[in-house]
Amino acid sequence: MLSVREIKEKQLIPQRPQLKMMIGGGLALSKTLLVSLGELKKLRKIPSNSERYNRPNRTYDLKKYESTMKSFMSHEKYLRPTLWCDPTEPEVIALAHQLGAYQKSDREFAEAAFEFVKEKMTLEILPFNPVSETIKRGTGTCIHLISVFIALCRAAGIKARYKMFAMNMIQAWYDTTVNVDPLIKKWYDSMGYFMIEGEGEAYIDGKWMVAHVGPRAERQAAGGIPVTKFGEDSLGNWFFAIPGSIMYMESIPIGLGGALRFLNKLAPGSMERVNISVQKQIERGKKIISQAGGIEPYNLTARKKKGPSTPELELRGKEQIVFE
Amino acid sequence: MTDLNSYIAKLDKAIEKYIPSKNTPLYESLYKPKDLYRIPLDDAKKMQLKTIKHSFIHHYNNNKFYHNFCEEHSFSPEDIKTNEDLDKIPLIPDKFFKDYPDGKEFATWLANIYTGDLPKIVIKQKKPTYDDVIDAFNRAGIIVTYSSGTGGRHTFVPRDKRTFLNSEYILAKSFVTMMYPFWKYDSYGYLLMPNPRKNFIYAGKAVEVYFDAVKDVDVAIDRRVTTELISMTMGGAGGIKSKFVRYFAYKKSKKMIDDIIAWLEKHENTDHKITFVGAPYILYAVMEKLKKQGRTFNFGERGGVGTGGGWKIHEHKRMPVSDFRKEVQNVLGFKDKYILDIYGMVEGNGWMVHCPEGHYLHVPYSFYKPLVLDDEFKPADYGEWGRFAFLDGAAQSYPGFIVTGDRVRLLRRCPVCDRPGPVLEPEVKRAKGEDVRGCAEEVRKMLSSDLGS
Repeated sequence: MLSVREIKEKQLIPQRPQLKMMIGGGLALSKTLLVSLGELKKLRKIPSNSERYNRPNRTYDLKKYESTMKSFMSHEKYLRPTLWCDPTEPEVIALAHQLGAYQKSDREFAEAAFEFVKEKMTLEILPFNPVSETIKRGTGTCIHLISVFIALCRAAGIKARYKMFAMNMIQAWYDTTVNVDPLIKKWYDSMGYFMIEGEGEAYIDGKWMVAHVGPRAERQAAGGIPVTKFGEDSLGNWFFAIPGSIMYMESIPIGLGGALRFLNKLAPGSMERVNISVQKQIERGKKIISQAGGIEPYNLTARKKKGPSTPELELRGKEQIVFE
Repeated sequence: MTDLNSYIAKLDKAIEKYIPSKNTPLYESLYKPKDLYRIPLDDAKKMQLKTIKHSFIHHYNNNKFYHNFCEEHSFSPEDIKTNEDLDKIPLIPDKFFKDYPDGKEFATWLANIYTGDLPKIVIKQKKPTYDDVIDAFNRAGIIVTYSSGTGGRHTFVPRDKRTFLNSEYILAKSFVTMMYPFWKYDSYGYLLMPNPRKNFIYAGKAVEVYFDAVKDVDVAIDRRVTTELISMTMGGAGGIKSKFVRYFAYKKSKKMIDDIIAWLEKHENTDHKITFVGAPYILYAVMEKLKKQGRTFNFGERGGVGTGGGWKIHEHKRMPVSDFRKEVQNVLGFKDKYILDIYGMVEGNGWMVHCPEGHYLHVPYSFYKPLVLDDEFKPADYGEWGRFAFLDGAAQSYPGFIVTGDRVRLLRRCPVCDRPGPVLEPEVKRAKGEDVRGCAEEVRKMLSSDLGS
């Protein structure tokens, strides 16, 4: 049982913007459901004779945990276990070693962890679970996948945290994750944004570096966007944060897991429809990448089309700006 | 009829405080030519090169992020020798101005994108909102104007007083030149935008010069429109407060339409010249109401319209510019030649205006270079469709070398009139993958989207 101090310290209580968004999202969802009761009844479960979601097979082997494997037990902020993200689980330690923990530099390891989670694991909407289960299964929501990345970094002694925000998205993303289910569409449209999305961040050489592990290369190709690397942000590429909504946190806050479980109970069909659509998106992406001659040639073209690079802006305090 | 030189001289007298500083290339390329759209091409090319190069050197030397950006592109002032070299100036995607932090860091962000020396800016709030920061900059003489996409992400651009006056002068001179000989100071105007004296939203702010160019101006939206209010009215925020705000915006909008009709009635049987400037959507709503009442006006040569900011009239309906002109002729009795559209954006200070003959958008080419970029973001030839980009020699407080999200077609010269410079096809659209934006679209959303139905 966590003490009040721990709850506060680990930022388990949702931050104000998140609380506001969760309340707003809850109200919008209630309204959507109230005015669409008939639709909810019809859509909450997918009929057995319709297309169903089949979880894809895991695409990787896992090394067995050995008690001699070096691990990193810490109570330090951003290194210690947090809600749904325990870097001391045997599966996490084993995978961290498989990816080169304690052999590679921090940056090299973070890149390996990023590539593994992003390209070997698959998006699937389902309730939260411990990181070890996600690793064994090979699928999860973007927050599951971020948790795997964060747990791997922490297991290798690299500080890692969550970056959460409310966002809206490019049309191609909207079409595959929102527009595929009438209830989700109504909910999203009534708010004009999606209330929670996230990225991981790892502390490398004195700097927080972003890691968006959510979409595999195939999904990015299907959306017509470049295949992103460690350090490249989803924001400004396919997501756009609602101003004032970006939050950095050590842990997934309490309440988020419950909300996801509730949604899964209420409308499992809606989640399944998104999962089916994600699989189709991956198939489409595979074709696009193959037609382009592989990921690299695809990426070259996509990056050219994305347009000129944006200037780097390092925020430096200016003496003329006086905060009283 | 007054000749064009005397006509523009009268305008310059009315808006004297906006004229660019003497002994600058901009003074030569913007103020000195009386007709911005009839400068012989050879002369204009020299002016363009001098003005844009001068501006580039200023930003290269006084703006750290842009200097670094140019170094990454291995480009420096020495690389500019001809007008063609201008095309190689590193361009900033317009998204850059949308990628800002909040709170105190927002102020630091603005300070870091600003070119030149900042004045002292005092921020009193512990957790300043965007509006608090904008107000603080404004108190120090820097006007932070903004615009937003439908997602509610604003584009913020800091303008020093000089850059802001440049933008307003260009707008007034460009529009009045194309309206020749219609304009006179002793006339009546209706601004179909938020009051620029109370607001920083670019939809309106840039038109502050209207109050100096015309004797008597009424304002359609005479209240403060904050970033928070925009977020609420544009659907970016949920909650009961937002619903109330949207409801009252809708109620006020209904009254606004009645006020405009009453204003038209007041000027109907007089010899007054009247103009409307601003979001076409509001005038469309006025005309729809008049049509429902079976009423028309006949202002003839006494009426003029300058529209800008996009052509959405309902959530899913866009009105062709030509249809709008027909409506204005049929319902208000204005002449086609005095119903002109203006194209500009918060990141730029150049304004492109329809010519009265063919309604193509003419570019002020003596200080502003338009570019069209292909799918790979390389300059395309005249006649090709592509993404609009520009090199703006009038931006002093931020580098105005920008790639936009608009899809346009640039022609070497107007197919209809005899003005020599480049033009854009009359209708500008958003490029694929970009969010919908435009100041008129913001106004439409703010007022509640059912007004015109």
